[in-house]
Formats: sequence, C-alpha cells, structure tokens
Amino acid sequence: MALNSGGGIQGTQVPSGLSRLYSRYATECGLLIAIFAVVVIAILIDPTNAYLAKPWYNATEILRHASILGIFAMGAGIVIISGGIDLSSGSVIAFSGVICCSIILGLCQAAGLVDDTGNPVPANLPGWILVVAISGTLGVAFIVGSFHAWLITVVRLPPFIATLASLVGLRSLGRVLIQDVNRVFTSNANTQIYIRDATYKSLGNEWYIPVIICAVVALVLFTLMRSTVTGRHLYAIGGNEDAARLSGISIEKKKWLAYCIGTMTAALAGILYSSYVGGAMPDRDGLGYELNAIAAAVVGGCSLAGGLGTISGIVLGAIFLRVVIDAVAKTVKDNPDEFQGMIVGLLVVLAVTFNELRSQKGDRKKFFSGALGVVNIVSLTVLMGLVAMLVTSDGDSSTDDSRDKLFAGCLVAVITFAVLVARKIFESRPAVEKSPVPISAAANAQDVSSGEDPFVDPGKQEIEGDAPEGGDADEGRDS
Amino acid sequence: MFSASRFFSWSVLLLALVVFAVGCGKGGGDSTATPEPGGSDGGGAGKRIIILTNGTSPFWDAAKIGAQEAAADLKTAEAGLRVVVDTNDFSDKGQIDKLRSYQGMSDVAGVGISITNSGNSSIADELRKLAKQGVKVITIDSDVDRKNDRDSRIAYLGTDNVYGGEELGKAAKGLKPDGGNYATFVGLKGAANAIERIGGFGVGAGDKFKQKENFGDGGDQNTARKNVRDAIDRNADLDTLVGIWSYNAPAIVDIVTQLKRRKDFTIVTFDAEPIAIDHMKNGMIDAMAVQNPHAMGYEGVRMLKALITDDKDALAAMEKRMNRTEEKDLFDTGLKIIIPDEGSPLAETKFGDNTNKLTLSKFTEWLKSKGLQGS
Repeated sequence: MALNSGGGIQGTQVPSGLSRLYSRYATECGLLIAIFAVVVIAILIDPTNAYLAKPWYNATEILRHASILGIFAMGAGIVIISGGIDLSSGSVIAFSGVICCSIILGLCQAAGLVDDTGNPVPANLPGWILVVAISGTLGVAFIVGSFHAWLITVVRLPPFIATLASLVGLRSLGRVLIQDVNRVFTSNANTQIYIRDATYKSLGNEWYIPVIICAVVALVLFTLMRSTVTGRHLYAIGGNEDAARLSGISIEKKKWLAYCIGTMTAALAGILYSSYVGGAMPDRDGLGYELNAIAAAVVGGCSLAGGLGTISGIVLGAIFLRVVIDAVAKTVKDNPDEFQGMIVGLLVVLAVTFNELRSQKGDRKKFFSGALGVVNIVSLTVLMGLVAMLVTSDGDSSTDDSRDKLFAGCLVAVITFAVLVARKIFESRPAVEKSPVPISAAANAQDVSSGEDPFVDPGKQEIEGDAPEGGDADEGRDS
Repeated sequence: MFSASRFFSWSVLLLALVVFAVGCGKGGGDSTATPEPGGSDGGGAGKRIIILTNGTSPFWDAAKIGAQEAAADLKTAEAGLRVVVDTNDFSDKGQIDKLRSYQGMSDVAGVGISITNSGNSSIADELRKLAKQGVKVITIDSDVDRKNDRDSRIAYLGTDNVYGGEELGKAAKGLKPDGGNYATFVGLKGAANAIERIGGFGVGAGDKFKQKENFGDGGDQNTARKNVRDAIDRNADLDTLVGIWSYNAPAIVDIVTQLKRRKDFTIVTFDAEPIAIDHMKNGMIDAMAVQNPHAMGYEGVRMLKALITDDKDALAAMEKRMNRTEEKDLFDTGLKIIIPDEGSPLAETKFGDNTNKLTLSKFTEWLKSKGLQGS
C-alpha cells in the first residue's frame, strides 16, 4: 500500500474523472468554491464595484497578502501535520526583521553607505548586502528552529510550552537588540530601524515577488510532503508518534526538520514583512500572526491532532482568509475593522465545521444530543441573530435602521434555528449500519483505540488504484 | 441518497453566506443612498472622505463628533460625499494596509490621516500613490517627516506640536521655577507628534529641567501604567511626570495614586480625556495642554471637501483663519492650557499668543457647549 497526498490509502477500486479528483482534493475544491463564492457576493453587494473597477490591483493585492501569510502558514502547517504546534511565528517574523535590518545597517556602515545620521542612504543597496542579510536571517531562523526541536525532543518540553517561550522571548530579545544595534551604528537608541532603500522595499511591495517566493516554497514543500519518504514520515509521526517510532522512524530528526521549516518560512515572511513596512519595529511587527498561520492551516484542512493536511490546502486556506478580509474591507464601508474579526472568525469556524461535516463521519456525529445540545441550539440561534443585527448597523446615527437590523437578525435567527432543529431531528433517528470501507487492516500505523486512521482525512479514504509511490513508509528508515 | 450530513453541511455554508451577505451589504446600501445630485460638483456619486486615525482613544471620539458635525453643517451628502472615520491599530503595517486598500477602491475621494510613524517612509510612499490616483490627502494631528516626505500630502492640520510642547514646558517651569527631573510617557516614540512635543517640552521647560527617561507603550494602556511605575522605581530623583498622549494622563495618576506619592510629583499632560478632567478636579493634575480634536475632525472634513470640490474660496478662508506661521501648508487648530480653578501657580503665568489659558470650570463649560466630554 501507499498513501496519497493527504495520506489516503490505496485499495482496489478506481473511481475515475472528476469524482476521483474531487475525492482526492475535496478540501481544496471546497476552498476554491468558497473563495469564488465570497468574491461573487462581494461583487454583488459592493455598489462601488471595487473588484470590477480595479480587478488587477485588487487581485494582486490579495495575492501579495495571501502569499506572505501562505509562506509561514505552510511552515506552521508542517509542524501541525507532524503532531506539533509552533506558536512562535509572529515573534520570529519580528525578530527576523530585526536581524535582517541590523545586518543591512552593519554592512552599510562597513561599506560607508550611510548618511550623516548613520542610517543607510536611500539608494539602491549593493546586491551582496541583501544576499548576506537574507542568508544571515535564514541562518538565525535555522538556529531558532533547532533550539525548538532540542527543547521538544531532548528536554522533552511540550511543543506548546517550547514555542510559547519563543513567542514572548524572541520579541523581547528583538526589542533589546535593536536598541543596541542602533546605539552601536547610529549613536542613538532608537526602537526602530528604517531602510529607505528602493530595492529592499520592493521585496514586499511588488506583488509578484512574494507570490513567486510563495510558489517556490509551496512547490518544494509539496514535493517534500507528497513524494518523499521524509514527508511520509512526518505524516506518520503526526498520526501516531509511538507507532512511527516503533516503525523505526527517527522522530528527532524529522521534528528537527519540521520546526526548522516552521521558523525558516516565518523568517522568509519576516523579511518580506520588514520590506513591506520599510524597516524593523519589533514591538508591533507580526503581532498575533502565529494565530493567523494556524487559522490558515486549519482552514486548509490540517488537523491540530496531527497527521492530516496538505500544502495545497494550506495555501488555499491563506487565500480564503485574505479574500474574506479584503471582501469585508471592500463591502463594509464604515469601520470595516470592527466587523472584520467577527465575520472572519465566524467564517473560519463555519469553514472548518463544513470541512468536518463533509466527511461520512459527520453522519454519525451527534452535535445536539441531550440538554447540552438544546442549550447550544438556542445559544447559536441567538448568536447568529445578534451577529446579523450588529453587522446590519450602518453606524450612521442620522438614519433609523433599527427595522432593517431587526429584520436581518430575525431572518438569520430563524434560518439558524430551522437548520439546527432539522439536524437534531436527523440525529435522533436510529443509526443505519453502513458497509465497512475495505481498508486493509494492517496497512497503516492506525490508532486502534480511536478506530480512525491517523494518516488519513476520512473524506479522502476513497479507494484508489494508483501504483504505489516510492514513499512507502518502510523505505528510507533511519535505523 | 439523502444524507443528513450533507444537508447540514450545505445548510451551514448557506447560513455563512447569508450572514456574510447581510453583514457586508449594509455599508454598500448606505453608499448608494447618497447619489450625487446633478453629478456636476466633481465629488462623484457616493464618494467617501475618510479620516484615518492612528489608533483608538477618546481623543478620536471627539474628532469623530467634529467630523460628523462638519458632514451635517457643510452638507457633504449634497456634494455626493460621505464622511467615514476609520481606525488604525497603532501599527505602521495597519496604516499601510489601509492606504493600499483605499487604492483598490473607486469611491475614495479624500483622506485625512494621522500618521502613526513619521520616520517610516513607506507610509508616505502610499500617500503619494493615493495622490497619484487623484485622492486628496492631508495629515491631521500627526504629520509626515517634513524634511523628506512633505510632498506626500497637501497640508497638515492640527496642533503645532512643537509649540504645544513648549507651552506645556512653560507650564512645568511655572510650577517648578527651580527646575527638576522629568520623564515623558507616550504611545509611539516614533510618531511625529511625540517627537515634536517632547522636543518642545524640553525647550519650554528650560535648562533647569533634565529628562531622565522617555517611555513608549505602543498604544497599550497596561504598558503605559507599567512604564510610570518603572520610571518612579528607577529614578529616585524624578519629580515631574509628563503625559504626551491622552491616555498617559490617567495612567500617570493611577500609579501615583497607588503609590500615594502625589506630593512628590508635578504632573503635566497633553489632552483632556474625561477621566483626566476628573483627576484635575481632584487635584491630581497640575496643568493640561489641550488640543482641539473636535476642530481637527471638523476642519479636516471642511478642508477635504473644499479640495475635492475645488472650492477655492473655502480654502482661502481657512488659510486666512488658520495659517499662523510662514509655512503655508500648516493649519493650526489651536491650543488651550487648562489649570485648576484655585491655587494654581500658573494663574499669573503668561503663555504664547496662540494659547488660550482657561480654568478647569471654564474649559468644562466650553466642552458642554460643543457636546463633548473630553478634548
């Protein structure tokens, strides 16, 4: 046997054409439909038709933002797939900006390319300075990733704690470091470094550069996860670490790789981020970005329990998040920020729920049984109605929109209530026995106690007849 | 075959889309409600004037009231213009993101922005791109780096922050004629208004005052309080506490009250949040240099409307009324020095010609007349 991209198991029957493609890339297809739906809705309800009036600009802006998010979300996603968690992405982004700008500042000093204040002159920097700065930053990120792996695999700290320490520690280190760097090179203790150089600023501002970098990183990581033994091992470790260890997989080396990919992709995003904002400001750079990365990965089909997820899903998850954020900004004309978190949060929860329910497992799951279910039908109904009411407010005190708000709130509450009650009725029907899927019992390092395949998204357990790939888990064992 | 799971999952998706559509539809509906009458004033149907803040605070609430009043008084809707106050999160990236987002919209006619970080040329770059698209751009409250990026906006409208700092420095000098050691507290140390006010304070206070520390809190009010405590803990000879942004005043008073050391410190602050007014009533603040955010919002909308509709008369009137220096792209919204009603050593102190010195009770009367709780 062999595993498909998401870890799917090959059997004997061969579904063909679109249904096979859909079954293999169900999460990706769902996200593509969702992205398309959000764009269409935004076009329909935006009276200024921003997407139609400036399609190229808006498309490139969304792609640029999504690429930067996608780059470090892929790193965070690989850590999640391998059964870990990396909370340090945001701080690594801030710290990488400090390192990159500090190296540029130092090399400009050494090369005499500074103005009378000691700052780099706003002219095109020599290419070698940028290469050294970027390489140095990635090198530091490798060290940080290695430190995470050491804390987790040798010291045996839980990944949450190890990366939480970096979350708070690295930003703090960046804030202290930047003042000392400034004191040494510019004779003051500023808390920011500004790089006014056009070439450096173009890295994050020209839309195609982050997009190309994201595409290259995606291609490399896609190949790693889909077509190499190492990728298979990462899935295996995330699915069941004990079983993977007993299979002879070197857990320490694979985790080292995963955490280094996590920090190095965050560093790459940090360089682009620092270029975009024109310098390093570690007190605010990348604040909360670790949660954006995790959100993109989860929306893209990764399971926080590990062992599930694809690179293509994570990239589409990042695009979905950015499309929603941009659509809210385009269509909500008054203070979109105030509504953005609410709408994005809601859609993330619903997208993941939708993804979960898409699987056959959704049929068996009882969401609303007992008193807890009844209480949550009521609370979800009230919540959805309230959200609809709030977002229908136009913030203009001069107009009386209370009737519209009430109507929207009631409409959404009624729909919500109807859907949830219908679900509860279906759940209370007697369960129907289903014929088991013919999966070879000994084919994987399955978690017997849970009865689920740790490698496989249940939605992807379609029977496939591909020839086995070279990535059989037995190959390339480390011992 | 019917599947409960599929029914439910598609229902969930449908519900999400309904909520999204309902939520997002509201802003758009409002825009279409203000068509341009006659279509001849150059404003364009449903175009927006956006006041983009650097963050959230009661200061910007007052500016918002001013902007809304201006929209009503100047009948911006009749010119096809809607006034919107958009809030940033105190970060450079937040402001850059918003400016880039405006470039992707076709209904933005004018932007009045309070620059988060004057040292960051990337913000000025985005202002230039907006201007290139025909959007009228002015700065409010905090300007761009005037040495390098002055061309990125048409004008600055707000307090002359150097002058404001000098006047607050004079107040400190009047309160402590023998001088002292002071610490300054601000949100963003890189913001132009912070740099200018702190620099001005040093000049106004004179040589007898020595700055011990300058703290930035990044817009976080908990950090603002921690900074005050740290300053007091670290500097035994500290005797003057200077709040540079509006929320720094209550942060200073809270910590001094907790430590029960009011008699050890002279407290002078910028702006008058409602709670800071109460603190002055209770004898916890010695002097406040108060800007006029209401006027910044009001005059900002007036200036942008005049620029968008090419109303030269309105602009000329504003220039005559508000240009107080030789630099004709700087529009001054005035400064007030507020002192306690009784017993202030500053009662006889003379301030600059552009400063209006008021006792607290007279100031609160003025606030009431404008429908404001703070300024």
